[in-house]
Amino acid sequence: MLQPLISHYSLHADRYDELFEAKGKPRAHWVRMLDELADASAESLESRLGIVERDVRDSGITYNVYADPQGAERPLDLDVLPLILPADEWAQIAAGVAQRARLLNAVLADIYGESLLLKGGLLPPQLVLGHSGFLRAACGTRAPGGVFLHSYAADLARSPDGRWWVLGDRTQAPSGAGYALENRLLIARLFPDSFRDLGVARLSGHFSLLRDSLLHFAPPGDGPPLAVVLTPGPYNETYFEHSFLARYLGFPLVEGHDLLVRDGRVWLKTVEGLQRVHTILRRQDDTYCDPLELRADSALGVAGLTDCARRGTVFIANALGSGVLDSGALLGFLPRLSAQLLDEALLLPSVATWWCGEPAALEDALSQAERLVFKRADPGFAFEPVFGPDLTPAALARFKLDVRAAPHRYVAQELVRVSQAPTLTPRQPALLGVRGIGLRVFAVATAEGYRVLPGGLTRVAAQAEPLVVSMQRGGGSKDTWVLSDDSADSDTPLLAPGARAPGMTRRTVITPSRTVENLFWFGRYGERCDDLARLLRVALNAGLQEKDPTALPLAELGMRVGLSLRRDALAQDWCAAATLDLEHGLPANLRQLARVAYSLRERISLDHWRALNRLAQDPALGHASTVAEALEWLDRVIQMMMTLSGFALDGMTRDLGWRFMSVGRRLERLSFSSLALNVALEMQDSENLAWLLELEDSIVTYRARQMGRMAWSSILNLLMFDETNPRSLMFQVTGIHDYLRKLEAALGPCHAASTEPLVAELRILGTPGDATDDRRTRTIELLRRLRASAFMLSDNLTERFFAHADQPASTVLAV
Amino acid sequence: MPISLPAPCWQYDPAMSARYQIRHLTRYVYAHAAASGRHLAHLTPRATDWQRVESHTLRVAPPPTENDPPQTDYFGNTVRRWAIGAPHRELEVEAVSVVAIDSQAERWSAAGAWEDALAPRAADLVEFTLPSPYVPLIPAAADYARPSFSAARPLDEALHDVARRMRTDFVFDPAATTIATPIVDVLRRRRGVCQDFAHCLLSALRGLGFAARYMSGYVLDESGARGGAASHAWVAVHCPTVGWIGCDPTNGKLADLEFVTLGWGRDFGDVTPLRGIVLSHGAQQLSVSVEFRRL
Repeated sequence: MLQPLISHYSLHADRYDELFEAKGKPRAHWVRMLDELADASAESLESRLGIVERDVRDSGITYNVYADPQGAERPLDLDVLPLILPADEWAQIAAGVAQRARLLNAVLADIYGESLLLKGGLLPPQLVLGHSGFLRAACGTRAPGGVFLHSYAADLARSPDGRWWVLGDRTQAPSGAGYALENRLLIARLFPDSFRDLGVARLSGHFSLLRDSLLHFAPPGDGPPLAVVLTPGPYNETYFEHSFLARYLGFPLVEGHDLLVRDGRVWLKTVEGLQRVHTILRRQDDTYCDPLELRADSALGVAGLTDCARRGTVFIANALGSGVLDSGALLGFLPRLSAQLLDEALLLPSVATWWCGEPAALEDALSQAERLVFKRADPGFAFEPVFGPDLTPAALARFKLDVRAAPHRYVAQELVRVSQAPTLTPRQPALLGVRGIGLRVFAVATAEGYRVLPGGLTRVAAQAEPLVVSMQRGGGSKDTWVLSDDSADSDTPLLAPGARAPGMTRRTVITPSRTVENLFWFGRYGERCDDLARLLRVALNAGLQEKDPTALPLAELGMRVGLSLRRDALAQDWCAAATLDLEHGLPANLRQLARVAYSLRERISLDHWRALNRLAQDPALGHASTVAEALEWLDRVIQMMMTLSGFALDGMTRDLGWRFMSVGRRLERLSFSSLALNVALEMQDSENLAWLLELEDSIVTYRARQMGRMAWSSILNLLMFDETNPRSLMFQVTGIHDYLRKLEAALGPCHAASTEPLVAELRILGTPGDATDDRRTRTIELLRRLRASAFMLSDNLTERFFAHADQPASTVLAV
Repeated sequence: MPISLPAPCWQYDPAMSARYQIRHLTRYVYAHAAASGRHLAHLTPRATDWQRVESHTLRVAPPPTENDPPQTDYFGNTVRRWAIGAPHRELEVEAVSVVAIDSQAERWSAAGAWEDALAPRAADLVEFTLPSPYVPLIPAAADYARPSFSAARPLDEALHDVARRMRTDFVFDPAATTIATPIVDVLRRRRGVCQDFAHCLLSALRGLGFAARYMSGYVLDESGARGGAASHAWVAVHCPTVGWIGCDPTNGKLADLEFVTLGWGRDFGDVTPLRGIVLSHGAQQLSVSVEFRRL
């Protein structure tokens, strides 16, 4: 039943409609999808809407905006319906985008090389020399393979006559390809039949190309090529994509301080020492890439990177300085440049664009300002687009004066009435609506020339009446389905790594120091959340009984681990520690865990990230809860922590990072459990010790061994000395010892020997025999030492392996 | 690593020429040992058609673990790069140079009317007409300079006049600014040091349409010139007939025989005498001294 679905779908005479040729007449490439929609029940459509909404939230697809009042992450709206493009139309787009990439690469090579375009007057000098993205320090760059522009994206829109136009070029570190892939993973499975029948071109092959070409252009030397993804860090607006790309490509995700320059080459700090870096996929603005030679006011980046680029010892994608083309100013010159540099006509036209830095263009643009949009010609110039039609005559006159004051900073562009595409509106009943769209298309340099991703990121306007489409303005996105005639390119299955040339594969896993530090803390915070949740649950359960003798030791333990409690804590205080945002409370620690996990997203599977993300957004958080609500919430937390430890056991490679994580978990458990036993021994004569077993998750073991009446001696045996109980102190200490020994084999001294006396003392104390007062004193003393040792080991490891990862760099300037 | 140049075979005329030895010492003391440092220096005098570099040595202590041979930067200046890989508490950089300079005053006096210097120009001059990171084009700066540029006044005379006015109107006050102080503030408060004044004058001259570049170097302080204790900065303006005319707003004169040129660029950022990135916690203490001796 198509009719009700399209009851609100309206065509506009002055816009191209992607779906309908004419009223009631869908375009041929949409028929299959429309059939599927028509056959689908209202419930099934709504369920698909729900799936997308949940997926987007759970996977944490975000497009962060630094100043977003909603905080660091904002879910990216993803429409259920893809944009569908037929094969012949796509072939034209792809050829045009590939040609443009080739042309822009040639322009970059000239600007940073012989500079013939400037000398010969083919480019106005001011356009290049006055652009903040023109990096003088990058002149003389030797780009391996002659590739300055490795990744390129073009923003396209379709005019009412159905032609595609280029609105802008993204040449610096184009974002969005990762989103395109993620969108595909979510959307293809909602329409499996259409997806299969239509023969939609696969995206995965393109990402194999990306990976292979990054290694292909790597300069030789110092072993097999190592590529890294360089990110400014978790607060960048496209961090999601950085971690997604890194995980998908299998390259370490690094920040500037993870890298250093030595002897004219770039190196990665790993726990095993320095590893040569051959290729940097840069997701950081180039001016922030080298505090020594580029921006002196920022200590971000890698001091000396520009020098390495000039020496040609590192392949940087894209080359430092490629942002100089990130300017609408160039659009008007491209036909001439294409004729000159490629001896070809430009296949894909640019929207009519005037760079106001040329006097004739300035007058031309200002004479028709009321029908143009004015954009900045230079990303270094903060300026929101100004739409001529929106301005009053007085405002327009004022604006013209601004432009005349610094004309080279402005580009005027014809307004494109962009095409409209169907969206599935998220309300009941699900209906087709219309939204303006733009299309970002991606190309990548390979050994065989530029290849275009058969798909792209379709960007959707936030409102129904848009003139421009931008992600920063709060719009959404769509999957993009390019129909292919042949199935040759669909051979590579989704998510399978591409074949690599022999000799290009690394035998060992590279473990950046910062990753190891994060994994260590991931282990510690995960365990700490588990301990806290169990403590809170035991305390709340105990509080349900009147005059519980365990209330005092529990409150004491809670206070000693930093919860804001008093000795006479009531149920509501425990509830607050469970759900309210208090210092050292459970939510605060969960947030730390999520933060560390966020920095580790390229190492943690999507499933776990989703589960953790769901927990961090749990509705129970942030307000006072009843005991029942709090208990239910704590159950969810404990379940999640069990999932995480299951993942740690079953889902992670036993590499160095895993060992550091395991040491972190054991150290945390050692310090918490020794404290719990210590408090119990000091404060409790009574033998009602079920809470301790509950806290240590050992009640089942205790019963199974039919240890009978709860007695101190048997409880101490189980929780301290029993090497087979994974909750016992002995188990933690011997585990830590084993892990450290293994780390020592790879990395040299790791303080493993410092745990040996502890093991010995646990053995002596655990020998059956006397149950005297002396034994109790000695036990308390050992528990204190165990806890102190846990802290000391953590500090020692931090100093030995992590501290240099965040050593502050300071800039010195002298006259 | 010293760069030794052949001795000059040219006749010395004390009225039209001068010879100097300059010792430029920069010293950093770090509160905590720096784990490593990487540096870039514009401390080698530039050979030009009015300046000969007779000798130059650059000494770095502790000795660098990496030391690149001299290179030429985008603007044609000599740049030195080195790195110190071992922990260190102090960094000392000493540049000792002997240069000989010819006077340009006579040539400059042939400059025509300032308006002629605004004509369209070759591509490589264009960037000295544009704003740059330290030199935004501020209308107030151009307004300040404009009275010196009366109709058809010879360019050298107009420049001398604006320099003299700035010498009177601006107070030399090292405590008033840092290198991060925007020139809008310098203009408003009329206080600062040579870099600030050079940047203000560049903004004015570029705003009026000249091609003007930032000059880094030293000034002889025999007569109590300002800016003699450290490296100095002034500007040079392009004249199509007589070439670049040096102009020092700090000392209120054209920059001729008493000025030794290290290099030039759009502003301070292009020719910072010494910059570096140091891995260290805590504070650092900087001292700079320049000994400038007439030979």
